Amino acid sequence: MKHDINRNILIAADESDNSKRAVQYVANLLGGVKGFKVTVLHVIREPEEDFFPAEAEKEKWYQDYGRKADLMLEEYRRMLVDAGFDSEDVSTRSTVRYCPSMAECILAERDNLEYGTLVVGRKGLTHKEEFLFGSISGKIVRTARNCTIWVVE
Amino acid sequence: MSEDFSQELLHQLALPWLTSQRPGHRFNIFTDTGDFYRIEYGDIVILNNVPYLVRHNAKEGRFGLDDEVKFWVKRAIDLKTGKTKVIKLVFYEKFLARVGGIEFECFRSPRKEARILNLVGDHANFMHGFSVPDDKGNIVRIIDLIYGKTLADHVRDTASGMDHETYFYRHFPEILENFIECVEAIRFLHEHGEKHGDVRRDHILADRDTGRCRWIDFDYNFRHRENMYGYDMFGLGNVFMYLVGRGDVLIADIKKANVSAVSQLSDEDMNIVFNNRVANLKKIYPHIPESLNRILMHFSRGANIFYDNTIQLLDDLREFRSDFFREARRNVK
Repeated sequence: MKHDINRNILIAADESDNSKRAVQYVANLLGGVKGFKVTVLHVIREPEEDFFPAEAEKEKWYQDYGRKADLMLEEYRRMLVDAGFDSEDVSTRSTVRYCPSMAECILAERDNLEYGTLVVGRKGLTHKEEFLFGSISGKIVRTARNCTIWVVE
Repeated sequence: MSEDFSQELLHQLALPWLTSQRPGHRFNIFTDTGDFYRIEYGDIVILNNVPYLVRHNAKEGRFGLDDEVKFWVKRAIDLKTGKTKVIKLVFYEKFLARVGGIEFECFRSPRKEARILNLVGDHANFMHGFSVPDDKGNIVRIIDLIYGKTLADHVRDTASGMDHETYFYRHFPEILENFIECVEAIRFLHEHGEKHGDVRRDHILADRDTGRCRWIDFDYNFRHRENMYGYDMFGLGNVFMYLVGRGDVLIADIKKANVSAVSQLSDEDMNIVFNNRVANLKKIYPHIPESLNRILMHFSRGANIFYDNTIQLLDDLREFRSDFFREARRNVK
């Protein structure tokens, strides 16, 4: 019996080198292969209200960050197209979310949009960094359901 | 609208606390607290129609340094009730904190502390107070003074001149009870989406009046990464290690004391972040039960799993407590 394979791939990325490697990996692996659709997602973690002494600073932060995120996503989109993806098969999405846990926010996006594969980069945290602050990719691997996870080192 | 507090009225109200005023003395009166360096001993701050007589700036010792003056925190008298208050004025700062070689972005937030004061209300394990805006909208926090030592000083004084085993069976059961309450209090914050932000042993005061341990100072915050509460959990682990060990058990001290166990210690026995502190205290104090040591080892370099949240830590603490209390009663000399 043949199962339908969901060929929608979601790459959760930020500005880090490990994210760039994750995008590059998908580009190298699947560029030019027909039938796959890729979305590069950037979740903007809504800073806590305490972070800004005044409303004006908050507005400026969102503007600056939004611009930076757009440039980053455009760079990732180009990497995929340059590797052979049709431009209509590559999309980008940035969303501002309140994220006590970034892993949960990314997984919620995956659930909403029904991607079969989620790709993330791995930062290579030290033991104590993981203890103090937690690992996004580690939590995704532990808690994801109904999808395949690729963790790119 | 502020009531009109004349100099004469303020002199009358402040008389019990200012015994020697020179003739013709005029109070400096502040309704805008933005420039807190200008507000000094003997000045009056009026907030929400209440005049406060400023006494002195608070101090705080940290990292072995001498007490540092906190100019934005004033001890003051509420001249309507005569009660002593701690007034925390607005001081924003952002900085890179460095713990065990790891940098992360920290900031001080009056809004956060005001919100938590409101959240905790009269919870027995937190400091109490309220916030009020000054004339310029600065969020000033008015906090009830807690009389008592820090938990660290309490443990140090209690255990002074005592061997660890005596401390452990005679005093640790009560200290454990207090610590469990402290962890429950942090759980309360986490369940409401708040971090304490600066969990450390001198942010727990042992209230002389109620006998309860109370968390203070919630104005620190940091940009968290994956685990929003990981840094609070780290702080709880350090506090607990201190309480069990009757102080920090430092590798240099045990080498100096020529404790034979030092040769058995490995890297994995040390605190996960502070490499000079021993986490595996059973190797130093063999009477420590295995079930307690297992909790400590969650905060060691050899840990394979960490506590993700306070519920997991509380489960283990309670399980240990149920057996330990019986054992402690048997072992009290």
